[in-house]
Amino acid sequence: MFELHHVHKRYGRTVALDGVDLCITSGGTTALIGPSGAGKSTLLRMLIGLEWPDAGEVRFGGEPLRRERLLEQRRRIGYVIQEGGLFPHLTARQNVGLVARTLGWTAARIAQRSDELAGLCQLPDGALRRYPAELSGGQRQRVGLIRALMLDPEVLLLDEPLGALDPIIRHELQAQMRELFARLRKTVVLVTHDVAEAAYLADTLVLLRDGRIVQQGAPRELRDTPVGPFVHEFLFAQRSLGDLP
Amino acid sequence: MNAAATCLVRLLRRPCLCALLLACCTPLMAQQRDAAEVVIGSKNFTESVILGEIGAGLAREAGVPARHRRQLGGTRILWRALAEGQVDAYPEYTGTLALELLAMPDADHAALRAALAERGLAMTAPLGFNNTYALGMRSDRARALRIGSIGDLRAHPRLRLGFSNEFMQRADGWPGLRAAYGLPQRANGLDHDLAYRGLASGALDVTDLYRTDAEIPYYELAVLEDERGFFPAYDAVYLYRADLRERASRWVEALEGLAGRIDADAMQRLNARVKLQGEAEAAVAADWLGVAATEPQGRATRIWRRTLEHLALVGVSLGLALLVALPLGVLAARRPRLGQVVLTLSGLLQTLPSLAVFVFMIPLLGIGAKPAIAALFLYSLLPIVRNTHAGITGIPRELRETASALGLPPRTRLWRIELPLALRTILAGIKTAAVINVGTATLGALIGAGGYGQPILAGIRLDDIALILEGAVPAAALALGVQGLFELVERLLTPRGLRLAARH
Repeated sequence: MFELHHVHKRYGRTVALDGVDLCITSGGTTALIGPSGAGKSTLLRMLIGLEWPDAGEVRFGGEPLRRERLLEQRRRIGYVIQEGGLFPHLTARQNVGLVARTLGWTAARIAQRSDELAGLCQLPDGALRRYPAELSGGQRQRVGLIRALMLDPEVLLLDEPLGALDPIIRHELQAQMRELFARLRKTVVLVTHDVAEAAYLADTLVLLRDGRIVQQGAPRELRDTPVGPFVHEFLFAQRSLGDLP
Repeated sequence: MNAAATCLVRLLRRPCLCALLLACCTPLMAQQRDAAEVVIGSKNFTESVILGEIGAGLAREAGVPARHRRQLGGTRILWRALAEGQVDAYPEYTGTLALELLAMPDADHAALRAALAERGLAMTAPLGFNNTYALGMRSDRARALRIGSIGDLRAHPRLRLGFSNEFMQRADGWPGLRAAYGLPQRANGLDHDLAYRGLASGALDVTDLYRTDAEIPYYELAVLEDERGFFPAYDAVYLYRADLRERASRWVEALEGLAGRIDADAMQRLNARVKLQGEAEAAVAADWLGVAATEPQGRATRIWRRTLEHLALVGVSLGLALLVALPLGVLAARRPRLGQVVLTLSGLLQTLPSLAVFVFMIPLLGIGAKPAIAALFLYSLLPIVRNTHAGITGIPRELRETASALGLPPRTRLWRIELPLALRTILAGIKTAAVINVGTATLGALIGAGGYGQPILAGIRLDDIALILEGAVPAAALALGVQGLFELVERLLTPRGLRLAARH
């Protein structure tokens, strides 16, 4: 679905991506992980043309990402950020139907599609009528997801989607998202700093460090055959209650 | 977004609405002049306004429809307006003409006429009075000391002399006078109006005055003779456009017919009737001409008319500024480099003094409402451009990025996301522009644009507080009203979602 060839990107003197080659296949869920500043967000933003490589090429569905075709290409991609990225002056329903409306969908079709997705994402009744400020964090995240799924895109890109939620909601939403991904069979790429979340949601992990890919593969592969001490260190750096003395 | 905001945004998207706005503006802008009508102007002081009224009255008597553009901002504005054909005639003084306007200090009347003819202008024969500087003292004291002329002052070195500050400074004022007559006294500078009171109370013996000042008979002053002819002649004349001889020959004949008919004492009396007895210039002029005065308007009618004029100035200039400044602000936000240029330029416009802008505008737009609207338009640009720019660039980065990542076309992004999110800031800018506009529009009276500035100018000229308040109070009320109106609009247009978000 996505192919990156020798992608370089720098901001001033900081190198964000240093010659990344990556192939993201259709239908799977890929998680980009790594320490802060490793370049995982930059990589994700490059997939939807919010960043452009200084050198190298990004291909989407077999053809290069191009500014002049971006509008059309972006509509084949759903994009969700932390807190959902909802527009505060529009109700949830207006947020969700924004793009469909500009494409000339009828109001009835928009309503039907958003109700269907609201069911799928387990958004409570009536929440679509509210403004983002009247929704809880988890609900905002769900509305963001519904908005991304509206045009039934081939790809979902999620940038730290659950970053701002409290642990219980987060746990609940992780489970629902895994179920959703399995059901929709879409290509999903997500960025997270939570290794457990990545391993739970994704079938492929891509570990980045200093703008380079250190290792990629199934979670089990990274755990069992790490290519170096850093991979092992990173995977097990997080504490859990099991660490209690 | 709530219904009102959606509706406004939709309306603004219609090009036909913009066209309609422009169409509404056009009749106000145009103020078409009747081809046969002649226009006489006058400067912002009583004597000039009276002479303007007399000139206009003569035209009407001669069967020529005439309009009087009264109390325009100053010599420069009238001179340019005459040169550009915005006024056909106005009263002027030969001294001003020679020294200030033509810069021919030693020219006689024939030379002045020749210089005017080169510019397509002409002047009438002198009206009969010379409104030059003069020295005056109380007549009882002058009689007691046997002083009849400036030279006589030499014999009384202990006399106290007080002169207006301008007279103290000018080379052709006190320094020159003192040298020319060898006067021994020292003089103090003070305010012109205070000088009259100083003379009356006896704190002062001699001051400078204009020959036709209304206060001369009022305070029973004697004007000392300038026996050496030190002061240049300021003979009153009408300047007029040479083509008037063809267009309105009977009026020119009537103006020329005034030659020698108004002497200094007569002018003094006319000034006194307006300045000291509070009669209207039009009534005094009509009385002198021996015709019936036009009925003066009641205060309510007057204020209503001024209000309409003022609203037109503010409304049209603000409407046009909106049409230009909003797109400029959006452009500035989209293109940072170009934006810097736009912001700098509109900032620069703000620093231009309004009177200077008015004078620049006369060749382009003449006098009246148009140049005033143009100036107000220019002053309104900065707050609107700046706030539109700030409102759009102030939208959180993640929201702007999400809007583009969703695949919304740029137009939709602007109208559905960026403008609604920036609406509050933009409205605040429009409000600032409108309130400043209401205040600045009072200056429009200097170029004959009417509005609340008209009574303010007249009030200052006549030292009439009530008249000043007649303009200043409604202007202040209008400013408050505009402020309130925009706060209401802001409340109506702010989408509920944003009000909720602001509370969190």
